[in-house]
Amino acid sequence: MADVHIRNVSKSFGEQIAVSGLDLHIADGEFVVLLGPTGAGKTTTLRLIAGLERPDAGTIHIGGHNATALSPAERDTAFVFQQYSLYPHLSVYDNLAFPLRSPARKMPEDQIRRRVEDVAKMVRIHHKLNNRSTKLSGGEMQRVAIGRALVRRPAIYLMDEPLSSLDAKLRGDLRLELKRIQAELGATMLYVTHDQIEAMTMADRIGILADGVLVQIGTPRAIYSEPANLHVAARLGQPAINLLPAGLLPDGGAPAGTRTIGARTEHLSIDKAANGHADGVVDWVEHLGDQNHLHVTVGAKKLVTLTDPDTPLAKGDKVTIRYRAPLYFGADGQRLM
Amino acid sequence: MLNRTADSVARATPEPLARKVRGISDKGLAWLFISPTILLLLAINIFPLFWAIYLSFTNYRANRPNEVVKNLGLANYRRILGDQDIWIAMQTTAHFVFWTILLQTLIGFTLAWLIDRKFRGHAFWTTIILVPMMLSPAVVGNFWRFLYEPQIGLFAYAISFVSGIPPTDIQMLSNVSLAPWSIIIVDTWMWTPYVMLICLAGLRSIPEYIYEAAEVDRASNWRQFWSITLPMALPFIMLAVLFRGIENFKMFDMVNLLTGGGPGSTTEVASITLKRQAFESWRTGYSSAFAIILFVAVFGLANIYVKALNKVKQR
Repeated sequence: MADVHIRNVSKSFGEQIAVSGLDLHIADGEFVVLLGPTGAGKTTTLRLIAGLERPDAGTIHIGGHNATALSPAERDTAFVFQQYSLYPHLSVYDNLAFPLRSPARKMPEDQIRRRVEDVAKMVRIHHKLNNRSTKLSGGEMQRVAIGRALVRRPAIYLMDEPLSSLDAKLRGDLRLELKRIQAELGATMLYVTHDQIEAMTMADRIGILADGVLVQIGTPRAIYSEPANLHVAARLGQPAINLLPAGLLPDGGAPAGTRTIGARTEHLSIDKAANGHADGVVDWVEHLGDQNHLHVTVGAKKLVTLTDPDTPLAKGDKVTIRYRAPLYFGADGQRLM
Repeated sequence: MLNRTADSVARATPEPLARKVRGISDKGLAWLFISPTILLLLAINIFPLFWAIYLSFTNYRANRPNEVVKNLGLANYRRILGDQDIWIAMQTTAHFVFWTILLQTLIGFTLAWLIDRKFRGHAFWTTIILVPMMLSPAVVGNFWRFLYEPQIGLFAYAISFVSGIPPTDIQMLSNVSLAPWSIIIVDTWMWTPYVMLICLAGLRSIPEYIYEAAEVDRASNWRQFWSITLPMALPFIMLAVLFRGIENFKMFDMVNLLTGGGPGSTTEVASITLKRQAFESWRTGYSSAFAIILFVAVFGLANIYVKALNKVKQR
């Protein structure tokens, strides 16, 4: 394992700027998740590190060596693709052994067998080692693809939305599994996703990408509770953060220049209106089982927030709403302290 | 509401047509539509096949329609299987099929692989390569006859330029050992593009990310070729071999135009023998039996082959 240092890297495809002036340092053994919508430059970043793309500007150091001009084979990275990129005519065993059989390694066959069997157990595919890779379910294929990366001990594991094509239950299982394996191996890992739950649960640090620019990087906690701007705030939290114009509700203590107030569930206290004064009306209570989504109309704005499953509020109730230390954003979208 | 919609649709259909169509079931209508094709198939494919099977058991001669037709049982078949000339013709055919397929597959796949590199102008070169395939066999046969001319032909001239052998010694069509190769060369020239096209489709179907995965896994180009390119393109290559194999087993036009089976009977492939027996010796019953044997042989071989192909595809 090694650290990876990206300095001021830019990459365009024709007119399209994919990554612009990216600086990112991934420490040895760190799990960094890049989070962003489609087209934010996440995959391009991975491909740049793997050497599948060459940067237009900037440098990439892997394990202290300048790897900017090296070919993918010379870089010692392992890549898990979003698609099931298995070698279709090979068995699961041969797929897992494929990287180890590279002539560059000259690994004896019995050692390969041991390594493959260990990894197969790790990704829970050992009972299907002799199956053809095309005879597997989607989840199994992706476990093999992850396993094929894990058999190696590369400088860094690069994972491009490896769980996005799986069903929800399997995604949850593999999420935990991957995090466990990463911790076990002490692996350096850069993981790309657009799923905030994956990012929040697995990452040591989350990097938020938007339009090829790294907007903010920090621990999941920091990204969640101290977002740098409106974009970052809107990426995390379920239900999504409520962005309300300043002055809609009483906001004593808002710093000067506040244009927008961001309020998640924990930033709002909602009570049934007493003594005739009300801020809003309950629109609808959405029952999800373990919790409820509460939809409230305030003036022309709608709020969505979480509430207890046994909430006394019902449709049509008039409510008072107060902020509890919400997030303040200025006219430029940056958060005000 | 629903009823009203159905009613208005019914009313929109012109009354006489609606009444006529109502009497025919869906299945009847389907038969009505495919009946012209079925009749045509029966008339030009199925009937002649059964007629030929019937004739193959007789001594019928098409040039003597008034002679009494005798039933010979399996005598025609027995005589064919013991006929030395027939076996020589089959060997000639096998030789021809083997070499054309080998050359066309090797050259066709190599061309497809090169075109798939997507170098500058690859679309232009694809079109150029495809030209021979689009020509009529009659045209191809005739102009290769000119090319092969020892006195004026470009082919002999080019070979003599490279090898130093005088062009008049390069008698492609009349030399006993060169004549089979003259046909193999023309067939390869004409049909390699077809094999290339099928192989190209196979190569284009391999997703780019598999190569990228292999590259990150440190597989050399050589290893990528053997463990990704070739196995994934194999079903397509096999398909091309099947098509070319069936076509060349019954090869007639090019041989007939270039050598007519000669010199002697060195290029006399099965279909030429068949034509000679049927339309020069007028042994209609005998040649029908031979045709049936050829048909069964091609059909059987193709079936075995398709089974193998399916096995490869399922992997």
